[in-house]
Formats: sequence, structure tokens, C-alpha cells
Amino acid sequence: MLLNIAAVITLAVTQQTDTTVPVRPGMRLDVDNFGGEVVVKAWNQNSVRVQATHSSRDRIDVEVGASTVSVKAESRRGIAQMVEYQISAPAWMNLNLHGVSTDIEVDGAQGAVTAETVNGEVKCRGGSGQVSLKSVQGAVRLQNAKGHVDVYSVSEGLTLENVSGDISAETVSGDISLEGIESASVEVSTVSGDVTYEGSIKDGAHYRFATHNGDVTVGIPERTNVTVSVATFNGDFDSSFPVSVTNTTKHRFSFTLGSGSGRLELETFNGDIRLRRPGQLHDKHHDDQEDH
Amino acid sequence: MNDTWTERLSEYIDGTLPDAERAALEAHLAGCTACRTTLDELRRVVARARALDDRPPAADLWPAIAEQIGVSSGAHHVVSLAERRTRRVTFTVPQLAAAAAVLLLLGSGGAYLALRRPPVEGGGAIAQRGPAADLTTSPVGWVQKTSSRYDAAVAELQSALEQGRASGRLDSATVRVLTQSLVTIDSAIVQARRALAADPGSAYLNQHLADTMRRKLELLRRASALAPART
Amino acid sequence: MELTSPGAATLRRDPDQATGGGGTGDAETADVALAASGDGRAFERLYRSHVARVHSLARRMINPDVADDVTQDVFVRAWSKLGTFRGEAAFGTWLHRLAINVILARRTTLGTERGRYYDAENVLDAVPGRPVVHELSLDFQQAIGRLPDGAREVFVLHDVEGYKHEEIADMLGIVPGTSKSQLHHARMALRKYLE
Repeated sequence: MLLNIAAVITLAVTQQTDTTVPVRPGMRLDVDNFGGEVVVKAWNQNSVRVQATHSSRDRIDVEVGASTVSVKAESRRGIAQMVEYQISAPAWMNLNLHGVSTDIEVDGAQGAVTAETVNGEVKCRGGSGQVSLKSVQGAVRLQNAKGHVDVYSVSEGLTLENVSGDISAETVSGDISLEGIESASVEVSTVSGDVTYEGSIKDGAHYRFATHNGDVTVGIPERTNVTVSVATFNGDFDSSFPVSVTNTTKHRFSFTLGSGSGRLELETFNGDIRLRRPGQLHDKHHDDQEDH
Repeated sequence: MNDTWTERLSEYIDGTLPDAERAALEAHLAGCTACRTTLDELRRVVARARALDDRPPAADLWPAIAEQIGVSSGAHHVVSLAERRTRRVTFTVPQLAAAAAVLLLLGSGGAYLALRRPPVEGGGAIAQRGPAADLTTSPVGWVQKTSSRYDAAVAELQSALEQGRASGRLDSATVRVLTQSLVTIDSAIVQARRALAADPGSAYLNQHLADTMRRKLELLRRASALAPART
Repeated sequence: MELTSPGAATLRRDPDQATGGGGTGDAETADVALAASGDGRAFERLYRSHVARVHSLARRMINPDVADDVTQDVFVRAWSKLGTFRGEAAFGTWLHRLAINVILARRTTLGTERGRYYDAENVLDAVPGRPVVHELSLDFQQAIGRLPDGAREVFVLHDVEGYKHEEIADMLGIVPGTSKSQLHHARMALRKYLE
């Protein structure tokens, strides 16, 4: 996907930059990149090390301000930069990473993470507080994070594993898969894709899973207290345990499990809705995927 | 007047008295003028309460609200992106500028929409709702007449995307992806509309259509940054 | 088993529903979608259509002096919570519930807990700290404002706004029986102020 940019930079000589700057707790790392890659890994030192592979025409600018370390590439000729960044940063550091045709990867972060790109994937392991990952044409994957989580893609799927906190996940064309989730507020929607959820369903909490073309599969733990609202236009509803429907209209019905304290909304226009016990979730999912 | 009975008069008015008690109360009312008077007064209180008019506040609260939620209370611009945009547009290649603007919008949480919309008559005082006209049209829900505002916004944003594409300011692959995604959403909208036309009363279908249309606007909102960059 | 859907309270007097789900609600649905995607002008239209209702509710439920402030708060919150509006009820109903929540939360912070509920039939005379002179010159609206807080809230929610006792009990954290008896006392007290 980076071919057009790669063609430009082969004319220039490749160069390495390696810079380390000290940082104080509370500082944020800002990275702006156009093409290439941004990889940020946590380490146990109170300093940021920036290793960059780039064209000799470009200069890597690492600027230490009062509260931020800002990394970007300057180019005299104003031509698109293609820079591969390998950055080591303290785990506590908040990260603010932006790219255009850029893959972004974060590993071991313990602070807030913002990662946004147009054409590239975003992968993040770790993060707490505000965690916001967005791409237009790339998949987004988040693991081992907690806090307010917001993931978005236009044309690819979203995967969340072992994430706790408020979660919002939205894509247009892509599957959304959430596993090992601990949350009292989950809002998930795609237009064309399947939605799978395995995680907590807490008393008083709110979960919403919606798609237009796709199946919604949700694992319901034993002894869950939730009011479930199911809506589908063309699809079927299938539960691996008995439910007693209480409130039915043409395309929507509800039922209550336990005290009904939580709220779970499941919607698909064209697909099926399945409720499973958590252990059964995967078998069915794999069966389906083999058909593709 | 008998207290036991007056205590029940409100429930009687509200129709929440069990049948047996209602019959007993009615029997009592037939012979008790005081209770009948009280009943009549209570009915008038209820009627008076229902007839209370809603009045707007003496002062217009909108400017203060607009300020708090970060939208402009003035005529056309909801929020100015100019400041943030110039910070970002350090890329000199127009393509980069446009693409970076997409990112900005990805992060800006939606303050923008009116930015590209033409000035509305009347300079901001929105009085032209014409509810009476709306009410007389077909009952097919908002499908048929969803608000010309929505259609206008969509058309505007689509033309912005078109310009971005024509001027080559955006990577062709990104334009393709955005276009495909729009097609995906559009086909979902068409399906939802058809379903709703057959079943206009469905709360789910109404909500689903509204949700899908909202998603189209959001996507276009992002795509709108592909229009020629403002300098 | 009876299923209750949170946030789906139906108002007898809801203007959107009163029109039979016609055009007003439909145009409004589009504005809600636009506002939820960040369109301030759409939100302003929603504000214009609903401000009188919200402000009047605040005036009656809490205190005319803070009604402006409360109304502002309601719309600011509505803006930030629009994303959670699912269209199950009319927007007006949703906003109205939000307004009630804001008002009830505000009421406790204002320290208006005194004199919440009275058993005395003539509740108006029993309110401490309120002037008793000119009582008879009060108009009906002012008289509502002089009811003890609990009776006033129940009266406004039931007779003005059209909620059921069960819903009111839920909102106020009381039992439906209390709501019924407060309503009756409020009505009895207000008889004097019928013009």
C-alpha cells in the first residue's frame, strides 16, 4: 500500500538517525509521520530514544518542550517523507501518534494512547485512561488496555482483547471482535461485518451491538442479570439456552435474564443473532468462517 | 363530607380505584353534596394543570449553551478548524494536507458539519420548521421527506469528496475506500428504507435507518476534508 | 413477567406522540441524527422547539430563579449524551426525562430537602419560611410553586406532565402510595387557587 511513496524515496540515500532525550514524568510523546511506520515500545528508563530510518534529504526533528516530546521529519524540498520510526519511551508516557500512510504499533504503554492513521494498521498492546485508535483503511487491534476506549476504522475490522473500561468500536466494512472484555458500557457498530462479544455483562450496565449485514454473536455468562433486546429484519435468533420472550413486536423482542438489571441491545438487519455460553462462542464462530 | 371518601377522590378521577371501591364511592357520591363539590373542584384542578402553557425563558439561553458545548451561536460556522488546520498543514504536498485534515476530523469529534454548508436564510434564527406542512404529508415516516437538510448536507459533502478526488489531493486508494464504504452504507440505507416503507411503524427500522444515515454523515464528514485545502 | 424498558416512559402529553408520530417527529429525527454527528445548527433547532417545555418544567419543579441555569444545563447534557439516544422514545420524551434527572439532582444540591412531604391537608400553610401573606392573591401557577417540594414534584409530574405514579415513584425514590397521597394533598391544596 506504500508503493507510490516508496518509488519517490528510492532516489534518495537512506540514512539512520538515533537520538535519545531525557523526559520527566507527565510528559507526552507526539509523533507525526507521513509514510512508513511508527513503532513505540515501552522501556524502564526516563528517556525517549528515537531511531529513524529515512531519506538523506529529510531531517528528523526531536523537540523537547515543557510537557511534550515532539518527533517529526523535516524536509527541505517539501516532499512526502517516508520514515520508519522505532521509538523507546517510558511506559507511563502518554502517546499521541499520527500518520498518513503509516502503520502504527504500540507495545507496553501504561498511559493514554492516541493513534490515528489514514492508510495503515494500528496495533496497540497496553494503554490506560483515554485510548483512541483510528484508521481509515487499516485494521485496528487493541490488547490489554483499560480506560475509555474508542476504536474506529472505515474499511477494516476491529479486534479488542483483554480490555476493560468504557468501549466504543465502530467501522463501516469490517468485523468487530471483542474478547476478554470487562466493561459496563460497550457500544459496537458496523455496517457490513460480524460482531462477536465475549466478556462481562454486568448489572446495571449497557451493551449495544449493531450491524446491518452480519451476524451478532454474544457470549452470555451464567447467572447474568440483563434485559436483552433483539432486533432483526431478515435474520434469525438462536440461543443455546432457553429464554422466555416477553415483549414482542414485528422486528424486535425482549426478554429478561435474572433480575434484568443490565441492558443488552442486539441488532442486525440482515444477519442472525446468536446467544451462546462463553465456551461455545468460538466453535460456532470458526464454523462460520470456514464457509467463506 | 367523609374523609375516608375524599381521600379516594383523586384515585377516582384518575381511574385507578379498584372496581368494588369505585362502585361504593359512586354510591356515596350520590348522597353526599360535599364530596360531589370536592370532586368537582379536584377535577377542575386537574384540568387547570393540563391546560398550563409552556413558556420559553425570558432571555435567549442559546448563546450560553452554544458557548458551553463549543459551537458558534452565530450564523454559519459551528466551529473554526482553521487554527488546528494550519498547525497540521506543515506538509507542503497538497495531498498530505488533505490527508492530514482527514485525521484532524477523525479526532475532532464532530464539530464541523455546518462548516461547508451554505448560509441559511435568516441569519441563524431558526424559525422555519413548517410543522403543519410536515404533518399533512404521507405517514410513511421520515423516509420520504427526511429533511431536505440531511440531503443537502450529504450532497454538499459528496461534492467536496468529488472535488478532492478530481484535484488529486487525496490518495486514490483512500478515495476508493471511502467511495466503497459510502456505497456500502447507501445500500444499507436503501434496504432500510424499503423495509420501513412496508412497515412504517417499526421502531427498530426507524432507528436503524436513522443510525445508518447518521453513519453516512459521519463518513462524509471525514471525507469532506478532501476538498481543496483552505489556505 | 412484565418487562420494563428503561428510558421508555410514555408521556400522555408528549407533543410528538400526540401528533400520531407524524411529520414533526420525523423532521426532528433527522435533526437529532444531524446533531448527534456534531451539527450545532440542528441542535439549535432542537433547542428552539423544546426550550419552552424544559424551562417550564424547571420553573414548576424547582424554582423560577434557577430555571435558566437548569435549562442550560439540560441542553448541555443533552448535547453530550445525544449519542446514547436510541430513538426508542420520541426525542422530546428522552429530553424530558433527562431534564427531570437534572432537576432532581439539582434539587438535592440546592438543599431543598426541607419540608418535602406533608400530611396536612392544607399543605400550603404548612411550608416553613415562605410568606403567608397575599396567599389568596396567588395565581394557580404561583400556588404550585408554594407547595412543599415533594407534593409539588408529584403534582407537576403527574397532572402537568402526565407521568404515572409508578414512574414518579421510581424517579423520586418513593413508593407509589406516597406519590398518590401527595398528589391528592396537592390537588386539595390547589383548589383554592382556581381562578
